[in-house]
Amino acid sequence: MKKCIACGMPMEDISDFAANDPGKDYCVHCSRPDGEMQSFEEKKENLTRFIVRTQGFDENAARKIAEDMMRKLPAWKEYFD
Amino acid sequence: MKISSRQIQKQNTRKKIIDTAYRVFSEKGFSVPSSVIAAEAGVSHGSIFAHFPTMNDLLNSLLSDFGDKIGTSLHVLAKKCDSVENLLKEHLKVLEEYEAFYSRFISERDRLPDEAKNAFAMIQSTAAFHFSSVIEHEIEKGTVKKLPTHILFNTWLGLVHYYLMNKDFFSDSNESVIKRYGPELISAYLKLIKNESEVY
Repeated sequence: MKKCIACGMPMEDISDFAANDPGKDYCVHCSRPDGEMQSFEEKKENLTRFIVRTQGFDENAARKIAEDMMRKLPAWKEYFD
Repeated sequence: MKISSRQIQKQNTRKKIIDTAYRVFSEKGFSVPSSVIAAEAGVSHGSIFAHFPTMNDLLNSLLSDFGDKIGTSLHVLAKKCDSVENLLKEHLKVLEEYEAFYSRFISERDRLPDEAKNAFAMIQSTAAFHFSSVIEHEIEKGTVKKLPTHILFNTWLGLVHYYLMNKDFFSDSNESVIKRYGPELISAYLKLIKNESEVY
């Protein structure tokens, strides 16, 4: 199963892909309304906000988790080299 | 490129070490010495270090695999859930499959290296992702009380983790705590979070 290069989510159905395009390597949650992939900073902030909202973690702890998650993903490799 | 028999053997030994470590950590906790894992896996002690220079390398490799496996299982099972009840059932189904290792993991998490803590956060973030999309939809419909998503999620996780971390009090044998108490936990949790007219 294909996984999103920007967040790691498995992409199974066509609706999981950005712009419903199975040719894309990133998912609907990692794309902007125009179908382009979010930037590193956008993704980091979105992930941080998501962790705070759904798990209630401290914002700095959530930001560190977001960075650590992104560190392992192919889309953001250059930001951690 | 053709893989040589030596490379295949190397991969097999690596897999054997990881599988054995998973079983031994599940049974005895994460502070088990590498010599025990080597003996249980039937490989020389030096062989472990040839594949994993430190115990942290072994642990990180194992947890990364575990995080991927449990994350994918959660995703596949939870994706089709249209109600919080079904989602909780699927969540418990995944946890039951990995119960022994997961229980050790949550009990000893704060004593593990940073990468292991990340694996924990990733697993819970996957669970929280599915949980939030279903429960926020139910809040909108008025079937679940208007409480912050993180409180609803952490209350559920806290309940399940309490039973897992104190398994010896809740079960006197090796039976699965989730199997035994899961239906009761789901039913009680739903009664707590559902709006009164919606409780079933």
